[in-house]
Amino acid sequence: MALRGAWQLQKLIVSYCDWGGSSRGIRAFMESNLPAFKENNPQLEVVTELIRGQHPHLKGLYKNKNQRVVCVKNLTQDDILLHATRLRNALGRKVVKLKTRHVTKHPSVQGTWTTDLKVEA
Amino acid sequence: MANRRCLQTVIHHYSTNPFLQPLKTLVPTLQQILTLPNPLSPQTPTPNSLHVFSNLTPIFHPQHKPTCHFSSRRSDNEEEEEEEENDDEEEEEEEEGSEEDDDDEGVSAASNSGVKREYTAEEKEEAAAAIGYKVIGPLQRSERVFKPYEPVFAVVQIGSHQFKVSNGDSIFTERLKFCEVNEKKVKELSFLANLILNRVLMLGSQSQTIIGRPILPDAAVHAVVEEHALDAKVIIFKKKRRKNYRRTKGHRQELTKLRITDIQGIEKPEPVPTNKPEKTAVKKLEKTSVKKPEKVAVAV
Repeated sequence: MALRGAWQLQKLIVSYCDWGGSSRGIRAFMESNLPAFKENNPQLEVVTELIRGQHPHLKGLYKNKNQRVVCVKNLTQDDILLHATRLRNALGRKVVKLKTRHVTKHPSVQGTWTTDLKVEA
Repeated sequence: MANRRCLQTVIHHYSTNPFLQPLKTLVPTLQQILTLPNPLSPQTPTPNSLHVFSNLTPIFHPQHKPTCHFSSRRSDNEEEEEEEENDDEEEEEEEEGSEEDDDDEGVSAASNSGVKREYTAEEKEEAAAAIGYKVIGPLQRSERVFKPYEPVFAVVQIGSHQFKVSNGDSIFTERLKFCEVNEKKVKELSFLANLILNRVLMLGSQSQTIIGRPILPDAAVHAVVEEHALDAKVIIFKKKRRKNYRRTKGHRQELTKLRITDIQGIEKPEPVPTNKPEKTAVKKLEKTSVKKPEKVAVAV
C-alpha cells in the first residue's frame, strides 16, 4: 500500500492479447473494471499493452525499482481485479520468509534485561 | 426411529392446530406411548414420561421453525438481494441440511455464493472488536501522524498475537478485514486506513509501568495500515512410508503490515530538545528528574 504515506506502486502495465482465449478474462476486466480501478487510484499510472499471441499478465513497477509480474491467463475478471489490487496493496519488497513479525529500531525502553538485574520489590 | 418421528410430527400437528382441540386430550397418552419404547428412559412410567415430554418439545422447533424462515426469506430474497442473514439462521440451515429438500439447499447456496458477503457497519465493528482493533477511517493527507520516537512502549493484542510496540514500529499481523482504502474518498486525497488497537495489556515508559488486568480500557494505540501482502510460500508435504502416498500443498498466508503511530494513555516524558549537542546531558537529567517513586502506578 503505502509506506509512510507514499504509494509504492507507480505503474501498472496490463498486457493482453486481443485474440487468444486465455485473454478472455482480462478483456472483460479491461472493459468493466479497469476504468473504475484507474479512477480510484489516481496516483497510479495504468498502461495497457497489446501483445498478440502471448498469455496476458499484469506487471507492477514499484518505487524501489522492483517489478512484479503476475500471470493472469484463463482467470476471470474478478480474480484479475484481486491480483491488481494485491499489486497495488504491496510495497514491492522481495518476498522472503519473515524472521520476525515485529520490526523495531528501539528494542527496549526500560533497558535490556540482564542476568544481574536487580528488581526492587 | 422413523415411525416415532412420524408420530411426533402428528402429535405436534394436533397440539398446534386449533381446530383439533378435542383431540388434544389424546396427546398425553400418545406421548406416553412414544416414551415407552425410548431405551434411555427408565421403565417407571408416570413421572418420567412428563420429564421426557418436556425434553421432547425442543426437538420440534428445528423441524418447524426453519420452514417458516425459509418461506419468509424466500420472499425477502425476491424483494431485496442484499438481505442480511442472522447467525442463528445459518446454524439452523446447517442442522437442517440433511433433512431439507434439494430446493432449500439451492436457495442457501444461492444466498451464500454471492461474490462477497455484505457486512453492515455494526457487524464490521463487532468482528473488528473481537480481534482487537477499530477502524477509524482513511487518513487525511494533511494529518501528520508520523512522529519521532518517544520512549514509551505498549503491549497490544491483535487476534491471538501480542506485540510489544512503541512509536514508529511496524508489525505484521494476520490480515485485518475492513481496513481497505476507502475507494470513494481516495479522490479527496485521503488514504491509508487508520486504526485504533484497543486491547492494550500493558503500558510503560522509562519511569512508569501500568499493567492492565487484563486490559487497560482507556489506553489506545494508533496504527496505520501500510500493506496487505502475502507471506512467503509454505510447503505442506505429507508422506506415508511404503504406501506410495505423497501430497504437496502450498500456502501463502495473508498478512497486514501496520505501523504504530501513537500510544495514548500514559504520560510521556517531555520531548528531547532539538539542539543536538546537549542531547545526552538533557537525557540524563530527565532520567534522574522523572524517576519519582510516586509516579509508579502499578495496578496489579
